[in-house]
Amino acid sequence: MDITTLKSKKSLIWWTVIFTIFILLIFLPFYTQGYAVVLLISILVYVILTLSWVMFSGSTGYMSLAPAAFFGVGIYTSALIGKVFPFPITVLVGGMASFILAILVGALTLRLKGIYFAIFTFGLVMLIAYSLLFFEIQVTGTRGRFVIVMDYNTIYFYMLGIFMLLLLTTYLIKNSKYGLALRSIGQEEDAAAHTGVNVVGVKVMTFAISAFFMGAVGSVMATKLTYIDPFIAFSTTYSFMPVAMAIFGGTGSLYGPIIGAAILTYLEEILITKFAEVYMLIFGAILVAAILYLPDGLVGFIQKIWRRLMERNHVDT
Amino acid sequence: MKNKVFTGLIMFVVVVLLAVGFYTTNTFAKDKIVVGMARPLSGPMATIGDSAFKPIYDTWTDEVNAQGGIYVKEYGKKLPIELLIYDDKGDLGTMTRLTEKLIVKDKVDFLWPSCGTAFVFAQAPIANKHGYVLITAEGGATHVKDMLPSLPYVFVSLSFSDWYQIPVLAELLGEKGAKTAYITFRADLFGIEYSGVAGIEFPKHGIEIIGLNSVPPETKDFAPIIKKAKASGADVFCAFGYPDLVLPATGTSMALDYNPKAWIGGPAVNFGFYHTTFGPAAEGVLGFTTFACSQSKAAQTLCDKLYKGKPEEINDWWGHPLYWAGLECWKQAIEKAGTLDQKVIREVLATEKFNTVLGPTWFENGLMAKECHTGEIGQWQKGIFEVVGPTKNATAKFVYPKSIWPAPPKK
Amino acid sequence: MITTFLDIVISGLLMGGIYALIAVGLSLQYGVARVLNISHGEFIMIGAFGTYILYKTAGVNPILTLAICGPVLFLIGFFLYKTLFKILLAFSDSAEIFEGKSLLASFGLLFIIQNIAILIWGADIKSYSFLNIGVDLGGALFPANRMVTLLFAVVISMTFYLFLAFTRMGKAIRAAAQNPRIAGLMGVNINQVLALCFGFGALMASFAGGLLSMCYPITTTMGMEYTVIAIIVVVLGGLDSIVGSFIGGFLLGIVGSIVTYIEPGLALVAYYAIFIILLLVRPTGILGK
Repeated sequence: MDITTLKSKKSLIWWTVIFTIFILLIFLPFYTQGYAVVLLISILVYVILTLSWVMFSGSTGYMSLAPAAFFGVGIYTSALIGKVFPFPITVLVGGMASFILAILVGALTLRLKGIYFAIFTFGLVMLIAYSLLFFEIQVTGTRGRFVIVMDYNTIYFYMLGIFMLLLLTTYLIKNSKYGLALRSIGQEEDAAAHTGVNVVGVKVMTFAISAFFMGAVGSVMATKLTYIDPFIAFSTTYSFMPVAMAIFGGTGSLYGPIIGAAILTYLEEILITKFAEVYMLIFGAILVAAILYLPDGLVGFIQKIWRRLMERNHVDT
Repeated sequence: MKNKVFTGLIMFVVVVLLAVGFYTTNTFAKDKIVVGMARPLSGPMATIGDSAFKPIYDTWTDEVNAQGGIYVKEYGKKLPIELLIYDDKGDLGTMTRLTEKLIVKDKVDFLWPSCGTAFVFAQAPIANKHGYVLITAEGGATHVKDMLPSLPYVFVSLSFSDWYQIPVLAELLGEKGAKTAYITFRADLFGIEYSGVAGIEFPKHGIEIIGLNSVPPETKDFAPIIKKAKASGADVFCAFGYPDLVLPATGTSMALDYNPKAWIGGPAVNFGFYHTTFGPAAEGVLGFTTFACSQSKAAQTLCDKLYKGKPEEINDWWGHPLYWAGLECWKQAIEKAGTLDQKVIREVLATEKFNTVLGPTWFENGLMAKECHTGEIGQWQKGIFEVVGPTKNATAKFVYPKSIWPAPPKK
Repeated sequence: MITTFLDIVISGLLMGGIYALIAVGLSLQYGVARVLNISHGEFIMIGAFGTYILYKTAGVNPILTLAICGPVLFLIGFFLYKTLFKILLAFSDSAEIFEGKSLLASFGLLFIIQNIAILIWGADIKSYSFLNIGVDLGGALFPANRMVTLLFAVVISMTFYLFLAFTRMGKAIRAAAQNPRIAGLMGVNINQVLALCFGFGALMASFAGGLLSMCYPITTTMGMEYTVIAIIVVVLGGLDSIVGSFIGGFLLGIVGSIVTYIEPGLALVAYYAIFIILLLVRPTGILGK
């Protein structure tokens, strides 16, 4: 058997595995009941936010604190038009609204580097929240809106759908010329420009694509909140958590952020229910410890141990 | 690269399966009543939660459990109450999730309310969907009246703007001949509602609103607002906001020597900390209230239970008695129903009258009937937050105009 | 008209004093030690609670408390740098990576400090009244506690400026701010200097907390609010300019006061709008290089 057939056979096994996993995830609501789906929705929300964040920030090195802005735009879109349009259109519009906002923001903020970009995006979230508040008070004379309520299985399937689409998009980007350009920007932006990469275009486009997914997941999430106001929708938690989760999991790979988001969300769930009084203390300590001792994230750490074990095995044989 | 995707997915599923495995349902033997709550133990909402409903449910649960619990006929014995409290971090998404968890996974016998009006709005449909009785605590708004007909399982205990505070306030002020009012309100549900209702009720009693502005949360500089109010010469100054507005607005009014004939503030004035902050200078300031200790024997007993030997800061003359009465209704409804069946208990709550610290208490269309309230408007007089309106409940005469600010206490 | 305008500007200056004080500490921590300290507000909170507790239980004058809480927080900040951030710095390949990581580490610190504070002091509102009297300045009244704050903001910042300009340690700090590597080569114990800066930042936070507890109610969860103000001010003034953040504080105070006079509902919108526009037009701030 030559190496190519071996590879293709291995790849076939992998495809089977991935297929099985998705089948399992799709049928999950039918064989478990109740809360597992609810929890999984929360996990998926953070997984999608984190993965979208990594799509732009992980490869370009621009630390964006804008997820809450795009997520919030999605939430508000859903609250505004959710009662009028069919739900798939609402989700699409939520995503597109964030996409357009991201293009505007991206085009404006190209000059900002490093910490300035992070601060700008943070300020953006607050500016939107307070402007919306003023608008609601003065123009519509209310604060807060009710969102259409949907059953959890439907929400779950939408989340899963967005997750799969995001996974596919990320995968395609990574394995294309486009992804290469993106990584070269992250390593050496000026050099990338010299080699003919359309730095501006690639950056803005990626930022917008990642925003699309954040907006889409926001518009689905809105239905789970049932009631929203500007500060609920544009909560800075949704800016900081994806960053922390990505760093915790490791941004070097595709699955690092997924693992990071899943573990931290689940950990938080245990802490706020079982150790409610000291939840922040433990969570903070884990964050600090992870930043200190897991420089390449959890996945990087596991890989390191794995490699070491492998080396030892080689030595033994 | 592909390998990484696959490994990632496998790890993801492992985590998921672990999570699912962790959540196997556990059942409780019926030797206690488990009450679940998603409360803000951390985050910005913790400030409200800690001073409002928490001291009440703590004291009340201890008292009931000391007596052995609640008698449930169905089981032929008293069942003690066990609290299962989760931290929602003051995050609405987390609160809704934890509420589902309490109902679906933990299968708690009862649900007690989350904290804050927006949170009540979000939680009520969930509780109703699952057929769980929910007597709310911190939160209530005109809005809620329109919602309640579609939420048969939800009962609101707190009094609010047009239920029946502002009408009473307007009448009190009108009788004394107030002609003009300046309103500043926090840009949120609370502020909009109170200023809105004032806009309807004040003119009915001949009070014209000559100034109205909203203040976003986290505003720090109140001097320009107080100066404008002072320049307007209005008889009445209203600060419809939370402590972050009412306390600095009071301080700034004192420092800038702004002495309207009536100074009324939102939730802050009704707390003990308002008095400990400003001391004798609080004299004459108006706020919202429900009771005063001197009102009845039952009121005095509750005061002793809640506040005796504790720092004055924790007193809350508006919410505390209503939350307490809500819990009493709940307990008596269970005893009358003789079962833990939510449907039966809901029927009892909706139709029967109960005997609480407020006297006879009942719910009308999901709201605690306004006839049960033992007060709406309070005024600081000689260090006591006296009930001054409605007149039938008053423990002291309404003083108008209020005396000018004295110098604050010197230590 | 002119008197009204002057009146508003002076209110703005008084507000600005508090803003400046809130921001100077953060500016020092970021400008020299390169830590964008998200937990800055938590240090302010500790300063405020220290002041409140001492005033309520022992009747200590809040202004005196500054001298008690300040050094304590200085030590906490100093050792925090010596342990946590020093390790982070050693592990980071570049300044940018360190900035990202230290930001997240301080986010973790925020959680830890706030939870400990809630466990000790509870989450409810604390408030006291101090110098709540008016001072007559040419016919217009101004709150005395704000004037005290302004005075202290100026005195503290001046003292610190002189310290930076004329003492040996101050010169070392400035050298470290400009180029840590060269400063190291010139014999400056760079880690010591960075730790000192972080400590001074915490000290400033403590002063700010103590002074603002005289004007505002305090809670254990109030930190983030002040961190955000500090970040706005620091960006206005230029991320690495301590004098700039001082001026930025007054600028924000005056703008806020004018907008609040015209339309209070827009005060915070104005803050963020200025902030974002300035970042776009002049990301290095008013005085940044």
